[in-house]
Amino acid sequence: MKTPDVIKNLGKWSAGRFSAFKNIILEKYGEQPGKMLVHTGVLGWILSSLAQVGAVFFNDKISPEQKVFLIPQEIADAVVNILSFYVVTNSVKDIASKLVTTGKLTTPAILNYLKKTGIKIPKKKGDASPIGKWDFDITKLANFDEISPNFKAFKNGVDVGASMLGSILSCNLITPILRNEYASKQQKSMISKMQNNKNLRNLESPRGISMAEYQRRAYAKYGNLKV
Amino acid sequence: MASTDKISNISFGNSFTSRLGAAGKRIYNAMPNFKPISNARFIKGIENFGKKCTSDKQRLILGVSAILMQPPIDAHNKNVDEKTRKVSVARTIAKIIAGTLTGVAIRWGCIKAMNMKIFEPSNFFKVSKDAFDQYKNAMGTIVALVVMMFTNFLIDAPLTKFLTNIMIDKDDSPGGAKK
Repeated sequence: MKTPDVIKNLGKWSAGRFSAFKNIILEKYGEQPGKMLVHTGVLGWILSSLAQVGAVFFNDKISPEQKVFLIPQEIADAVVNILSFYVVTNSVKDIASKLVTTGKLTTPAILNYLKKTGIKIPKKKGDASPIGKWDFDITKLANFDEISPNFKAFKNGVDVGASMLGSILSCNLITPILRNEYASKQQKSMISKMQNNKNLRNLESPRGISMAEYQRRAYAKYGNLKV
Repeated sequence: MASTDKISNISFGNSFTSRLGAAGKRIYNAMPNFKPISNARFIKGIENFGKKCTSDKQRLILGVSAILMQPPIDAHNKNVDEKTRKVSVARTIAKIIAGTLTGVAIRWGCIKAMNMKIFEPSNFFKVSKDAFDQYKNAMGTIVALVVMMFTNFLIDAPLTKFLTNIMIDKDDSPGGAKK
């Protein structure tokens, strides 16, 4: 049987897109592992948060009162996690990256290279030197290729370490504290709403039926409740 | 080709350092430079960490630190009653265990799978071995995220529920959640 042209074209188009996508990933993250960890971390948190909210919602062993706390906790967890992960992790990584590219944080090999390039190395505090200044960028120096392998290996290590530190701070410290604050406020307001609704239901008068019939129906409806 | 460029130019937002104003730059410039790191083994350690710390190892480190840090935070949350607090701690522990186990295993498997020909980019010969290894790490992690779209529901969520229920059922203390 002959393959329809539409399928063939779709196959070609998909293969072309996938090939382009692989090259983009190679270009974008091949020399920036720290950045990759931040971006894939954000995507990962979005996906796992969706699953965790579902897990609480469908767990029949968790009581409605606890769900009222835990579901907002999960949603708060997701929002705070994603935001704090991106903001904190990316900021820590950016600062670390800046320290290395400006030469504030350096190694003897990089310092020797700078000396060889003719850049003044500050010997004591107050010595005028572009090293460590905001606008100084080692990667922009004309003969950067000389130090490039050493510099990139060091910078990638610092970037990955900073990303790691940022993600530990954001996911394991900032997020749990913030989400607990938010979720407990949510729980209180939801419980008070539920309580009000229950009270209103209880106040409904049994129109058109006898009191005995009302009691029978009420027992049938709420008889499974243990007091 | 034009559309490829568009994709590669996607911006993930301005970086933190690019948003700093003149005051931030002045503070930065006033900060003294760090003493150069002179310990060769430490420098090698930093370089190796950048090369070898793939996303599966990062997930493992995050999981281990999470189990040490998050449950005590939930256990000291005085804004909720004792019973809810215990369920919250149990769930946090279960979530960390389930998330770390599947997260590490799937990332590890997907990064290994990047040695398959199908995932080899056409431009790989233009880059260094280190950059190609980082590509495998990045692409493997992206594929792992796609896989985890399903395993989050099929493995993580039921495993979290199972582990939470075990911990809730085992809790016989007066404030415990056992019925």
